[in-house]
Formats: sequence, structure tokens, C-alpha cells
Amino acid sequence: MAGAPGGVILRTAGLRKHFGGVQAVGGVDLSVPAGDVRAIIGPNGAGKTTLFNLITGDLAHDGGAIYLDDQDVSGLPPHQLCRRGMGRTFQITSIFRRLTAFENVQTAFLTHHRRHYNVLRRARSLYREQTSGLLERVGLGEQAAKPSGILAHGDQRRLELAIALASSPRLLLLDEPTAGMAPRERHEIMALVAGIARETGLTVVFTEHDMDVVFAVARRITVLHQGAVLAEGAPADVRANADVQRVYLGNPEPTR
Amino acid sequence: MTASAPRVIAIAVAVLAIAPLVLPPFFLQLLTEIAIVGLFATAFNLLMGYGGMVSFGHAAYFALGAYAAALLVKKAGLPMLLALPVAPLVAAAGALVFGFFIVRLTHTYFAMLSLAFAQIVFTVIFKWKGLTGGDDGLLDVWPPPLLKSPAAYYYFTLAVVGLCLLALHAIIDSPFGYALRAARESPRRARFIGVDVRRHQLLAFVLSGLFSGVAGALFAFYNGSVFPDFAYFPKSFEPLVVALLGGVHSFYGPLAGALGFKVLEWLISRQWPIYWPLFLGGIVVLVIIVLPGGFVGLVSGGRWRARPAA
Repeated sequence: MAGAPGGVILRTAGLRKHFGGVQAVGGVDLSVPAGDVRAIIGPNGAGKTTLFNLITGDLAHDGGAIYLDDQDVSGLPPHQLCRRGMGRTFQITSIFRRLTAFENVQTAFLTHHRRHYNVLRRARSLYREQTSGLLERVGLGEQAAKPSGILAHGDQRRLELAIALASSPRLLLLDEPTAGMAPRERHEIMALVAGIARETGLTVVFTEHDMDVVFAVARRITVLHQGAVLAEGAPADVRANADVQRVYLGNPEPTR
Repeated sequence: MTASAPRVIAIAVAVLAIAPLVLPPFFLQLLTEIAIVGLFATAFNLLMGYGGMVSFGHAAYFALGAYAAALLVKKAGLPMLLALPVAPLVAAAGALVFGFFIVRLTHTYFAMLSLAFAQIVFTVIFKWKGLTGGDDGLLDVWPPPLLKSPAAYYYFTLAVVGLCLLALHAIIDSPFGYALRAARESPRRARFIGVDVRRHQLLAFVLSGLFSGVAGALFAFYNGSVFPDFAYFPKSFEPLVVALLGGVHSFYGPLAGALGFKVLEWLISRQWPIYWPLFLGGIVVLVIIVLPGGFVGLVSGGRWRARPAA
């Protein structure tokens, strides 16, 4: 298995992206060891989502390089990155709204097992147990048969997490996984993610605005500011960092 | 599908099987046309309903199938039963070449480029008199004597259309069909479960072109001749209108639409031939506003009515 303990699963070197005259990401060096649970925080416009979209191939980068398991994956399209073990969720919930919750996850299993060009089998009977199991794991066992478009917002976020997990990623990028959720729900879903990461050795990189959630879950934190890395370290170090307090936390003693 | 679907299908097959015993030839011809249009619209709906891609140029693949069938019989001297399976491959090849460019675009641009390619096919057919007969078309494209009677060709058409519908239904229920729907619902999410969305859409385009070509080839032998207007843009709008009338979110919608479309066309145009387009326009407006699920939505309301609560 690649991404063995101690190895670096994700690395970016001098990653750059500008939109017109605006430098959204200006030379970011990021290094995420396998098994890390890494929060990327920063004020609005710091470049968090752009950085995510560069890493996941949803945006083309202007310069620098991206390495997955020490292999240069710069410029690979999303479906190939997915095949190489990268998974993600989107800031704006992206699910297959007119399919049932069950079919959403089942389709992800079908594709992960490279059955998606098969026109001869009936899809309905395939990967049923795995699909049920995963829906149970994210707390959607009861909702399986409903069209996913009518699920509650929080349940849709859980569903997208299940879709991403069905591809058995080794690296999972979550772009504001708790956006639009009530505080209690935020902690539930991040506890779920952290639990899965512990059980499976999955590496998680996530962005998040709720500092309570960040400090409760993250093992390490990277702070972005104006498209560059301002600080990086264990939660306690980041919290104590004067620069970080000045530009982001805005409070010498952030409330817990 | 609703639980009663198998029973409805069984009854429909039984009625269609005994129809030649009770109906005069004219109605058998009408039913043959309905079956062909139904196949054309179902092939079209693989793209629109399941793939979320609206083509304004499907006449291209219908015409490629029809002209390939006619040319194989007339110029290459192939028997009809050999020309019929080969002709759709020509349509599929056309869909592969055109689709390669078309699926790179989305929405309006997708529709306009598909229309442009169909107009190119039309122009080539119209101008290449030496091969296609141009404006005069190709005449005497008849099936062998055994299949020439309205009843015989009716049964033959039903059998071929039936097999194609089974194949299309299997495609839609297959893992390929699931991934196609996923790409329709959210292309970026589909990419990040590992679907090469563009390739998937191209394959669906080729399959849709293939079955449109079957419809074209069947129609060539039914009609006994082929003409450039098979590729002209009104022909491209036929499957679109038929699918909308019947309902694009059901496998059976385009078939119901073909039945309604052809019966209405017959009823209205024998009374007021020049006003048929006016009536058709009115009916389409009514269906879109009152019955967004099409004719099929009347019967099987539930499933696709489901809308997000917020």
C-alpha cells in the first residue's frame, strides 16, 4: 500500500494560480504525511477553495507541481486522480439529486470497481451490501430509498461524504464539510470523519470556518493568508502564533 | 417503473399482435410509423432524459441510417436483411465523429453544434446528386416480397423495434446507465467517483445515434424511398417534441408520445392539413405548462414529481 506510515501522501511545491490580476494562490508548499488530519484555515479569500480545486484537478494551475505518493500528478483530470486514491467533497453540496441516496452510493461503488462501461448487467443488484453498510456508517440507513434531492441539508452532506468514501480514497479532501449545518451537527459529522480516519488510516485534509470544530478534530493546521502559507503546526502552536492571531483568529485567546 | 408495467406491456404486445387481424392496412401503416418514431424518440431520450444532453440534430443519424440502408441495397446490391444491421453502424460512426466535438460543449452550445452537424449532413445529401440523388432522393428501396405487405412489414418492424427497446432498457438499467445519470445530475461529482464524463457522454451519443440509425433504416424500407428532408431540421425536432409530449423522465414516455403524436397528426391533418403545425404548437405548449411529466406523468405521477423541499 502506498501512503505507508511516515510517507508523505500529498505535497505541493510552489503551487500558483491567478485569476486575471488577482493572485489567488501564490506559491504554496504543502506537505501532508499519510494518516494526518489536516485543517486548512484562513480568512475568506485566503485561497482555501482555490487551493483545493488545484489539488483535485478541478482548476488548472499556473505554476508549481502537485505530488500524490511522490508521483507528479499535476494536470491530471479529476477522474484519474480519483482512481489514484484521491477523494473529495465540494463546498456546494454535489450529489446526484434525482437518484435515491442508495443509488448515489451504489453508483460510486460501481464506478470504483470499474463496472461503469458494462451495459449487460443490471446495476440494481450490484454492491448492495457495501452500499447499505456505508449508508449505515454515515447515519443514513433510514433514508436510503429517498430521492437524495429531498433529504435535509445535513443528510445531503453526509451522503456526499458516503459517495466520496465509496471510492476507497487514501486521501480525502473536504471543502467546508459542515457549511450550513447547526453547531451540534458540525461536531457530529466531523467526529464521524475523524473516527473513519482513525479506523482506516485515511488521510483527511479539510477547510473549516468553525474554530471549535477545527481545534477539536485537526492534528495539524495550515493557515493560509492572501494565497500563501502563514503558519503551520499543531493546534496549540497555531493558536499561540501571533501572526495568526493578528490576521485571523482576531482574539488573543480564542474561545473554545 | 410502476408495479403494473409488466402487465401493461403484456396487454400492449397482445393487442399489437392481433391488430393485423382486425385493422385495415392503413392503420397497420400508422402503427408501423408509430413504432419507428417511438424507437427514434427513445434513442433520442437516452441522451435527453438519461444523459441530460439535448440534441437539435438527431435527424443526422436517422438520415445516415436511412441513406446507408438505401445505398447498400441499391448501389452495393446487398439484400435488405443484411443492409438493415449494417446501416445503423454508419449512423453510429457519424455519431462518433460528430459527437467527439459536440460533447465538448454543454447546453445551448451542445444543441447548436448538433444542429450544425445535421445541417452539414443535409447539405451533403442534397448536393451530392451522383451518390444520393440529391433532391430526387433514392427510389425503389423496397423490402423483399415476403415482407412487402403492410401486415408483414408491420410484424417485422415490431420485432426489430421490440429488440432495440429491450437493448435500450438494459443499457439504462446497467452500470453504464447509472453512471450516465450521475453525469447528468452532477458532472463534477461524477468525475470524482471516477467517471470520465466526456467519454461516457460520447458513448451514450454513439449508442443513441446507432438506434436512431435503426429507426432510419426501418423507415427507408417502409417508405420505399429516402429523401434529403430526412436530415432536415424539422426531422430533428420530431423526437424532441415526441419525447416531451410523452415524458422524458420515463422509459415509456417517448413511446406514449409517439402514439399520441402520430394519432393526433392523423386526426387533425385529415381535417385541416395545413393547420397541423398550429395544433402541434398548441399541444406542445399545453403539455409543457400543464403536464411537465408528459402523458406518462398523468399515470405514474409519484416518482419524478419529487422535488427538493427547500
